[in-house]
Amino acid sequence: MTRPVSDPGLTLSQLFSPAFPVGSFAYSHGLEAAIADGRIGTAAELQAWLRDVLAHGAGRNDALLLAAAHAAAGPDDLARVDALSRALVPSSERLRETVLQGAAFARTVADVWGIDLKPLSYPVAAGRAARLLGLPPEATARHYLLAMASTLVSVAVRLVPLGQTEGQQVLAALVPLCAALAAETADGDLDEIGGAAILSDLAGMRHETMETRVFRS
Amino acid sequence: MAVPFGQPEESAIAHPDTDLARAAPLPLRPRAAGEVRLSSKRTGGAVSTLDGLRQAGCFRALFPDHDGPGLTAMLLNTAGGVTGGDRLRLTARAGARSRLSLTTQAAERIYAASSGETGRITNSLSLDSGARLDWLPQETILFDQGVLRRALTVDMEPDATLLAVEPLILGRPAHGELLRQVALRDQIRVSRGGELIQADALRLVGDATAILSGPATGNGLGAFAALIYAAPDADAFLDPLRALLPAPSAASLIRDGLLLARLAAPDAFTLRRILIPALTLLHGHALPRSWTL
Repeated sequence: MTRPVSDPGLTLSQLFSPAFPVGSFAYSHGLEAAIADGRIGTAAELQAWLRDVLAHGAGRNDALLLAAAHAAAGPDDLARVDALSRALVPSSERLRETVLQGAAFARTVADVWGIDLKPLSYPVAAGRAARLLGLPPEATARHYLLAMASTLVSVAVRLVPLGQTEGQQVLAALVPLCAALAAETADGDLDEIGGAAILSDLAGMRHETMETRVFRS
Repeated sequence: MAVPFGQPEESAIAHPDTDLARAAPLPLRPRAAGEVRLSSKRTGGAVSTLDGLRQAGCFRALFPDHDGPGLTAMLLNTAGGVTGGDRLRLTARAGARSRLSLTTQAAERIYAASSGETGRITNSLSLDSGARLDWLPQETILFDQGVLRRALTVDMEPDATLLAVEPLILGRPAHGELLRQVALRDQIRVSRGGELIQADALRLVGDATAILSGPATGNGLGAFAALIYAAPDADAFLDPLRALLPAPSAASLIRDGLLLARLAAPDAFTLRRILIPALTLLHGHALPRSWTL
């Protein structure tokens, strides 16, 4: 059932590389609406927005869900984590964002490594895959969070627009936060789920009523 | 205003063991404890009446006459706020095809927990087939050093209708109050037909003023509300609700039969100006009188 990989570090780089076909380039997590509203016009403003999303929004919660999915004792436990993950999503486009990315991630991992991985929301699929491939959960969460930040930096580089170097500077500045959040959430204690990324959630809702948009969330 | 109690304190509701029943005798202060259990039923002629009521400690239910459709219960915490170690528990059930509205007499204030203990508010709602329950508490006001764990758990039948709101005010910014050290964990869970369909989790631990000053958190705003409408006709309310919400407040039909709106405003007054029309739309009637007194 489990199929430990020979080099966990390299496999994590593969799983969370932009080339891994989960379709993350199609989603902005509400960022497109925030940019259209004039909330993000500089690299510093992007960094502050992403810090909130990571520390008080989907970043920290996804890391908790990933850790809980990794630790899940059996299918019922895993299904409960996945149900919570889906129910926590505050808008319909964001629900598609996590469900479709998770399904693509699970399908690809199952096909490539020959493991049994059902469609799950994205953080839960990542945690379960890590368990089955013998990947350490905290390192998996670090890569997951950096991939999330990287996706959103790419959105801003394109839409604000920002320079590529500025984008990478923002991402580099967020690396310590990704590591700290992965460590903080490693116990997967779902009693500590929750956040305060209210305006990020609202941007995700407002994205649904934008007249022209490039991204699907 | 004279509000008739008019109802027996003890009733036919089964009362299995609860924290309250198990708890050792509590000191008078600083800890307060109270519990209300109530249910509604539909009687002939489409009238909803009280089916059972049990109340204990500092938590009471009043039943104002002629205040909205169905049965309206107004909850009252006689301890006048919540601090560390306090326990409030509500268990309410809307019986088949009945309509039950629940509100509070006043805003609930979460005061500094000097003891380092956590205040706990546990609200459990259930909706039988064809029932409607409107959870319309007034604002919760969180003050510096407040420590609260609150859970709102809803278990509804697929054809029931739920309207639920939780408005939250961060201190009194007009008075220059800052929330430098708080711990608020506020969890909402809604299950429909046994399936978890909505989980809302607000977590403010530490310097809430700083946390909510971020651009993607609160952007310095001080009044927020989550509004959930889970009903077979939820889809039809998306556009009318959106039309009532000025930016940055917004709404989404997350899935069939489930609307979520979040409201964000500078202060309690501005929040009410947005919230009352939105709630009135979804409630379908004027809000309970305690909202406008």
